[in-house]
Amino acid sequence: MRSNQLSIAVLALASVALWAGHASARDQIRIVGSSTVYPFSTVVAEEFGRSTSFKTPIVESTGTGGGLKLFCAGAGLDTPDIANASRRIKSSEIELCQKNGVSKIIEVEIGYDGIAIARSKESNSIDLTLKQIFLALAREVPTPSGEFVANPNITWKDVDPSLPDIKIEVLGPPPTSGTRDAFNELAMEGGCKTFPEIEALEKTDKTTYKRICQSIREDGAYVEAGENDNLIVQKLVANPSALGIFGFSFLDQNRDRIRGSLVNGVESDFDNIASGKYPVSRPLFFYVKGEHIGTIPGISEYVNEFIGEKAIGDYGYLADRGLIPAPSDERKLIRADVNAGKVVKLAAEN
Amino acid sequence: MVDPRSHWQSESFKRRLRRRNASERRFRFFGVAAVLVAGAALSLLLVSVLSNGLGAAYRTEFALDVEFDPEILGIETPPPGEAVEILASADFGAILRTSLMRRFPEAEGRSEIRELTALLSRGASAELADRLRAKPALLGQRARIWIPTSDDVNFLLKSRESDSGANPSTRLSDRQVGWVDALMDEDRVANRFNSRFFTAGDSREPELAGIGGALIGTALTLLVTLAVSFPLGVSAAIYLEEFAPDNRWTRLLEVNINNLAAVPSIVFGLLGLAVFLGLFGMPRSAPVVGGLTLALMTLPVIIIASRASIAAVPFWIRESARGLGASPVQVVAHQVLPIAMPGIVTGTLLGLARAMGETAPLLMIGMVAFIVDVPTNFADASSALPVQIFLWADSPERGFVEKVSGAILVLLALLAILNGAAIMLRQRFEQRW
Amino acid sequence: MTNAIAPTNSAHAIPGSSARAGRGSIKMSARAVNVHYGATHAVKDAVLDISINEVTALIGPSGCGKSTLLRCFNRMNDDIVGCRVTGDIRLDGEPINDSEMDVVELRARVGMVFQKPYPFPKSIEENIAYGPRIHGLAKKGMELDAIVERSLQRAGLWDEVRDRLGSPANSLSGGQQQRLCIARALAVDPEVILMDEPCSALDPIATAKVEELIDELRGGYAIAIVTHNLQQAARISQKTAFFHMGQLIEYGPTSEIFTNPKVQKTNDYITGRYG
Ligand SMILES: Nc1ncnc2c1ncn2[C@@H]1O[C@H](COP(=O)(O)OP(=O)(O)OP(=O)(O)O)[C@@H](O)[C@H]1O
Ligand SMILES: [Mg+2]
Repeated sequence: MRSNQLSIAVLALASVALWAGHASARDQIRIVGSSTVYPFSTVVAEEFGRSTSFKTPIVESTGTGGGLKLFCAGAGLDTPDIANASRRIKSSEIELCQKNGVSKIIEVEIGYDGIAIARSKESNSIDLTLKQIFLALAREVPTPSGEFVANPNITWKDVDPSLPDIKIEVLGPPPTSGTRDAFNELAMEGGCKTFPEIEALEKTDKTTYKRICQSIREDGAYVEAGENDNLIVQKLVANPSALGIFGFSFLDQNRDRIRGSLVNGVESDFDNIASGKYPVSRPLFFYVKGEHIGTIPGISEYVNEFIGEKAIGDYGYLADRGLIPAPSDERKLIRADVNAGKVVKLAAEN
Repeated sequence: MVDPRSHWQSESFKRRLRRRNASERRFRFFGVAAVLVAGAALSLLLVSVLSNGLGAAYRTEFALDVEFDPEILGIETPPPGEAVEILASADFGAILRTSLMRRFPEAEGRSEIRELTALLSRGASAELADRLRAKPALLGQRARIWIPTSDDVNFLLKSRESDSGANPSTRLSDRQVGWVDALMDEDRVANRFNSRFFTAGDSREPELAGIGGALIGTALTLLVTLAVSFPLGVSAAIYLEEFAPDNRWTRLLEVNINNLAAVPSIVFGLLGLAVFLGLFGMPRSAPVVGGLTLALMTLPVIIIASRASIAAVPFWIRESARGLGASPVQVVAHQVLPIAMPGIVTGTLLGLARAMGETAPLLMIGMVAFIVDVPTNFADASSALPVQIFLWADSPERGFVEKVSGAILVLLALLAILNGAAIMLRQRFEQRW
Repeated sequence: MTNAIAPTNSAHAIPGSSARAGRGSIKMSARAVNVHYGATHAVKDAVLDISINEVTALIGPSGCGKSTLLRCFNRMNDDIVGCRVTGDIRLDGEPINDSEMDVVELRARVGMVFQKPYPFPKSIEENIAYGPRIHGLAKKGMELDAIVERSLQRAGLWDEVRDRLGSPANSLSGGQQQRLCIARALAVDPEVILMDEPCSALDPIATAKVEELIDELRGGYAIAIVTHNLQQAARISQKTAFFHMGQLIEYGPTSEIFTNPKVQKTNDYITGRYG
């Protein structure tokens, strides 16, 4: 009957689909990892695909941790060749890699990412210290007597009399985001450490230290605006009194609508971030699986495209995308290390 | 005895009647209000997506006088009739630069020239190469050619339109704005239809990015989903509804299937990752894996819809067919399935529509990725339409805002077509008893 | 389905029957049939014969097991979960509950018409052609067309539908639908036709037509009919069996049952004193 024929056809299709799954050897670079590095990695990948005869690499945005896990799953060709990371690889991850037969991990630092604290261009610029940021956003703040109380600050003036009398209203990323991790670590913890008694805690009671320094208030002053930084930018434009927290590239792309705040008196611009003066910044990396070089075509060429002056140089195309170039000496060092094939080692091995 | 007539005319009865009518009116009012609110929300969404998204298929282009100089390009003029061989090293960027510098001789020095060429799209030279490939006669000629600009130019024009030109905010320098104005005075700037949007794969340049790759990825993925989940789902439903004994195990199975339909989609992604990639070693990012994963997700939906639809076939249809000597399988294949089919197909299409909008399961199996090449088979790396929307929405470049809306429009249109097909099938084939 | 039955070769005497002789020879016979629906004992030790060229009417108050017994003759009860049938039922002397007997073949030989006219939601033609098609009775389209025409003619429906064979069967009137269902059963060319209250949903005119039809069909088939309409039973049947509470009370020639019942209960029922 007709329905029988239909189901036979459908089954045949299904088996064809399954059969097609057995692909031949890979001729395309596969990259996984950090969503912060993703915008830079993809631009390089596209340029690489355009300017060479190699296929354009596939870049997945899996997050740093997830990416390194995939990367370290083995040396087989079904594992990624490159992992993007918004932090340095952890020793536990190196161990995992080695256990699974990935021993030639090549580290490439590509530059810096700053986290911008920005407002609509319609309002005045604001100068904040890390301490003020911590006092405005922490869940618990220390009292003069050394106790911790739920954050009582409602306006910026409550935080510091020199600041304007406007409500604390900060739009930022949710805990799942890498930007939030970096913000917690660099800005919150940085401000937190300015209290000597808390800094002392780091040695004695690490859990309390972490809890105090990296917890953000949940009473409405800090609004989790979703993973999408564009949304934060739009909300800032609509609400000039609010502050927003996002990756520097979004500030750079929207300079006509929003302006970055000064942090510890330092403006968030390329030079200050590259030189490390701007406190809320971090280096970005990618890791190459040495075992795959020579097997998967184009890996060395891709790496060279990435670390070339044309990409990560002071006027490279990644700078246009908001990557903050490393100082030129550092760039030379990076290239030398990569060309020498320097491999990441565990601290104990050094 | 109370006279019933006096009862119907009593004050208390009239009061009750008034109250009843009032509650009737209230209920209707709330009903209408609810429909209006829902309608308003929907039209708001549509208006905002439409107003943003229609621009997605357009991009700003400059008309430049370009000279295809064989010397700069390093291309030899081929004997007539033969195709030009364009080397990868051919520097089309230089041709564009020359053309711009000829038009604006005042731009001097490295940085000024960089500012000038920054007005063009990064993909301009690649497109120029395509143009030459399509029309080899251009070699050695000078021609007026429309070249895509960077999205900053597009935004300059847009902000002028919206702010009535008073104080356009732009990332372009004053010098760059001056050049754009000069070209505009010559009518060399226009927003032109961009077919790339529908055919190209992903790109980090908004003016080059397209949903073609994602569309084909979605089509391949859904094909696999359909091919796997439809026969499996319908067979399972038939077995459970018509043949399975009614015991503790089948009831347990039934509860589990119903639960599966409510499981968050990311869980199916994890399952797909473990089974298809881990166990079977299938390729990452491939539509075949995406399709199989979404099939797992769609399967319970199809089973439930099919079972409901089969159960709704009146008992006497089976009785009559059996009475004529039809075997159990014949009863199902000849009488029950054809009657149940509209419902099954509707359920399947709705399941597919849901699968089409999913990103979470695809994340786990690597389909949330930057993929430039348009996939050609089930094993090629590919993304899918909702994934593309998700990736673009997260891009810092502002040109993608429009692309996101455009892609959403396309996704909505596809969903409307799927759901429309479901309704049409239902109306056409539905049996009324 | 467990049909643990001891084949009884000697025919039982039918209680209350005055004569076993009839117009035709016995086509189907039921002996010591018991049907249980779970705990309900719906048919108790029933005995019944269906003879060729005769209409056998089953009468009795609602719920007494008439339909249940009728359905035993083509094993329609097999498909009901929890229904258990025991006893000896034979078609041409062959036990039908035997593993030798294929239920598909049995149902082709013993057709059934249900209480409500239930055509398939397809065209008139397809309704008739369905049975012959699944049994492979017709190879070519022309043969099938001939079967369709013959069956409709025998059911007295041909003249009314000959111009609209392709239109949906649901578009027919109730009486036409019932005759269509009879034609559908005839198309398989059965030897026995079982009818369960075929006229209960019809108006007097349609009823008269179906009765006329049954009378004509009697010439070629053995027919059993369940009916609540005593006049109908008297008009069209040659034998009548009266059931009460799952038991056969009296069985004999229709004329005798209606004019001279031997059992008091039968008399009470046909005179309308209860039921
Ligand atoms: N599918 C079933 N499941 C359980 N019990 C049933 C089923 N069908 C019938 N019965 C029971 O068996 C008994 C006989 O039912 P049956 O349908 O044979 O009666 P009937 O004589 O045909 O009545 P009526 O004249 O109302 O059609 C009744 O008590 C009924 O409740
Ligand atoms: Mg009945």
